[in-house]
Amino acid sequence: MNRKLMTGMAALMLLSATLLFAAGKQESAAPAASADKAPAVLPYKGVELRFAVMADQFGDYTKVLAKNFEEKTGAKVSVDILGYVELYQKLTQDFATKSAQYDLSTVDIVWSGEFAKNAWTVDLTSWTNRDKAEIDYDDILPVTWTLGNWEGKQMSFPMAGYANSLIYRKDLFEDAKEKANFKAKYGYELAPPVTMDQLRDIATFFTRPDQNLYGLVANGARGSAVAQDWMEYMRGFGGQVVDKKGNVSVDSPESLASLKFFVDIFDKWAPKGAIGYWWDDRETAYRTGQAVMQSSWSIARAGYENKEISLVAGKTGIAVTPRVAGSKALYGFGGWGVGINASSSAAKQEAAWAFIKYITGKEAQKAWMLHDGAPIRKSTLKDPELNKAMPWLADILTVFENGDGDYRPRDPNATQIQSILGLRVNQAITHELTAEQAIKEAAKEIGALY
Amino acid sequence: MGTIAPFIKTKKNRSLIWFLLPITVYLLVFFLYPVIYDIYISFFSFKLGEKAVFVGLGNYQAMLADFQYLGSLKTTLVFVISTVSAELLLGMIIALLLNNEHRLAEGIRTIILIPTVFTPLVAGLVWKALYHPDLGMFTYYLRQFGLDIGRGLTVERYSALFSVVLVDVWEWTPLMVIILLAGLKSIPSEPYEAAMLDGASPVQVFFMITLPLLRPTAVVALLIRTLDALKIFDIIWAITGGGPGTVTTVANLRIYEVGMQHLRIGYAAALSNVLLVAGVVVGIIFIQLLYQDLFKEKKV
Repeated sequence: MNRKLMTGMAALMLLSATLLFAAGKQESAAPAASADKAPAVLPYKGVELRFAVMADQFGDYTKVLAKNFEEKTGAKVSVDILGYVELYQKLTQDFATKSAQYDLSTVDIVWSGEFAKNAWTVDLTSWTNRDKAEIDYDDILPVTWTLGNWEGKQMSFPMAGYANSLIYRKDLFEDAKEKANFKAKYGYELAPPVTMDQLRDIATFFTRPDQNLYGLVANGARGSAVAQDWMEYMRGFGGQVVDKKGNVSVDSPESLASLKFFVDIFDKWAPKGAIGYWWDDRETAYRTGQAVMQSSWSIARAGYENKEISLVAGKTGIAVTPRVAGSKALYGFGGWGVGINASSSAAKQEAAWAFIKYITGKEAQKAWMLHDGAPIRKSTLKDPELNKAMPWLADILTVFENGDGDYRPRDPNATQIQSILGLRVNQAITHELTAEQAIKEAAKEIGALY
Repeated sequence: MGTIAPFIKTKKNRSLIWFLLPITVYLLVFFLYPVIYDIYISFFSFKLGEKAVFVGLGNYQAMLADFQYLGSLKTTLVFVISTVSAELLLGMIIALLLNNEHRLAEGIRTIILIPTVFTPLVAGLVWKALYHPDLGMFTYYLRQFGLDIGRGLTVERYSALFSVVLVDVWEWTPLMVIILLAGLKSIPSEPYEAAMLDGASPVQVFFMITLPLLRPTAVVALLIRTLDALKIFDIIWAITGGGPGTVTTVANLRIYEVGMQHLRIGYAAALSNVLLVAGVVVGIIFIQLLYQDLFKEKKV
């Protein structure tokens, strides 16, 4: 092979590599340029937005809404559906490096403080105030603003509100024989538990391993799964991880009592393997008829009626979660906001805001609710047609009207707090540590973050 | 150096520099730069999204008090020793069994590679389903055979690490088999013929001929698997996520948690540097062993 040929080949390789990198850059620069030339009828024609969406039940229909938005405005919204851990990781890297891979993203309620501190998403306060009439501000339930609000800044707009609810087997609760047996044993009527003591009694009553039936199930797997489920019980016992003054209060007597109760779930009432359960495993235990009760997010409610994935269709009841007797009626609220990347171009941010107004609008929310969506509006929860199809919406409204979006810390340390609790609570339920030791260690470690 | 310089100086071969350029650039950009930056950033307290603050050896000091990381190093060591030794032993036995020209052996040689072609994360997810403490098929059969596996292999503290070791052994033993089989095939037949004439027993043949001649191949296989096992992440991440407690938290899982979930990049860099040094030390030891073998062969 002569020298010229070899030199030429090497130069060609380098040229190809350079072109590859250059092509990537051109592609990302293109939409902004064409957005300037957009015709008036389709105001955002040529704008391309990328939307990172949590892989929850609502994810798939988001794609339909994105398509509808494109038809109305010309803006193309590509939806990427990502798992919880992957979503957080991709977003934080994208924000920190200011690479603007995603223009829009679903924002978990617990990320609010961290996103605000780093100004990773656009503060939507002024736009919300400006367009109050258009978005029908008063129709949006007040608790849903915790989906993104932090120290007066609205880092994401409420999109999908979840009510933490008690899910139970209505057929068993209404069975005459079960009712009689329960009353004979405990001296009061079998009904959805209101207090933690009742929850304990009913869980014990329905735990029958010989029938593969278990009274109560919760997530036990190390990490966010066990941390988030325990915090729901902690709230029911009146505990807090960090109190309103910012003091670490995870080692309060209420929290300790809740952890002891939580350990009991796995020792006494849950299917054997629940100490390793993630959300999907817990839901499977309920949908396959193994578990009689669970504390779960309302987003999963519609799925129980889907015979393709549920053996308990038509047998499920939903009620507000139990709490310690005499405590104030506050219920767990969570879910997802939708935020705009602070590093995206002004043209994309403008189109993204229009998209947010569209998918959180009354019309889109109603259509979304019929396809595994989650509500944020009073009008959606009170809609007669929706209530006919989903009679449980009234219970969700009760939770929203008495909702507490702060029982899981939303401050900038939220992710680390969840990691700490994810380990310590798991160590308690697997008896590596006692409940007292686990709580003490967690308090020490969380205290070190502040 | 003395031999390369005149070679490059000749006009004809100077153009070869162009061929070396892409790999040199690749190594500089994707290997040398990250390593240098990793060492540099380990001297800073740097949370993604915040300003980096120089802390000197602060991250390394913090590491000494990080019970999760220190524990994870111990777990990594147990994982590496148990997986690599089991894979070597099983790999050797299977390779010896398959070292013949029977049609069945030929067929098995092909089939046995199947676990290795699985992406480790996919293998992990499949095994997670098989291991499911209440609904898993593997769990079901173990219980049917009357084995007491408590609440499930992956969720009990005494069996969780064993369960992930088992998956690693399942996935990577075939690779060991193939490498060792290649080594066995390359051993000349003369020593065996001489041993037969001398009346050596099969055990003597194995220990006096097969094993010594297979040693360089085995060292290469051990090097590859040890470095791989040291870097383990995907299988464990998919099956147990490091739990229960910290029982299956290997070093890379702790580094991932600190770096990618808590976004403490500086501290994660310090933790990963320790693993890097461990990898380099292991590499040097095995390469030394390999050179010793090659040197001995030359002398003979």
